Amino acid sequence: MESIGKDCTELKQAYDTCFNRWYAESFLKGNTTPECDELFEKYRSCVHKTLKERQLDKMLDEARSQGGPSLDEEGKKKGGEGGK
Amino acid sequence: MKLFETSHEYPHDWAAVTLAFWRKYPNPCTGHVKHVDVLERKVDPETGILRTERLICCVQNVPTLIRKLFGASEETYAYEVSEVDPKGRTLEARTVNLTFSNLIRVEEKLSYTLADKAQTVFRQEAKITAFGTLSRFGNYIEDFSVNRFRENAARGRRGFEWALDCLLAESQEAWHRAEGFVKEDLAIMASSPNASS
Repeated sequence: MESIGKDCTELKQAYDTCFNRWYAESFLKGNTTPECDELFEKYRSCVHKTLKERQLDKMLDEARSQGGPSLDEEGKKKGGEGGK
Repeated sequence: MKLFETSHEYPHDWAAVTLAFWRKYPNPCTGHVKHVDVLERKVDPETGILRTERLICCVQNVPTLIRKLFGASEETYAYEVSEVDPKGRTLEARTVNLTFSNLIRVEEKLSYTLADKAQTVFRQEAKITAFGTLSRFGNYIEDFSVNRFRENAARGRRGFEWALDCLLAESQEAWHRAEGFVKEDLAIMASSPNASS
């Protein structure tokens, strides 16, 4: 699958491959030490550059400021997205 | 507001099912999902929980009426936050729409939890709310969205099962080979300071 940024696809695929292997062979077996940070940083900065160019970063910030798809809304922060 | 809910039991262990969650795209059933990019990802050092934020880009037929009214393109975006707890054997993900967010909020929540050794329970629910400023269209939009969501949920599950079948059919070694990028990737990893573990 291609990345949203055309130039990021190779970086994405290298990172995804690393992540999938780490997830199966380390993370699920209890070793949570990251192993793909360097690949991720390259891929991440490429994607974030694309988001800025397409102004998708603003959409994301807005979603985050409205509570986003928070996983802990019921438990930790009550009434976060009330009437806004 | 409209709700959609579904659940399913996979006769496979939780680890394999959650691995398929990450490897789900691309698959032959969900051609409308064009890009899935990881925006942020880290493991909480205290809890060991893996938190991931992803941007999902879809291309689908949004009704012309809505497109004309709001001048959006065919590409729509959604934002997903997920957490995997490897000790508790739970994966939870929530997604909200970014496109048309001033018009409608589609919030999806899904989870994969361990039922027993070889059983994983999948639950999915969606809450769809069209906002008051467009109450004239609200019902139409909510109905349209629930129907679309139901179709996509079915396609998504078929796609997921495809990914899961692939995963289970392949031996670990064959799977690495099938990735195609492995040689290149190993070379990159070998030159990385984090490679030695």
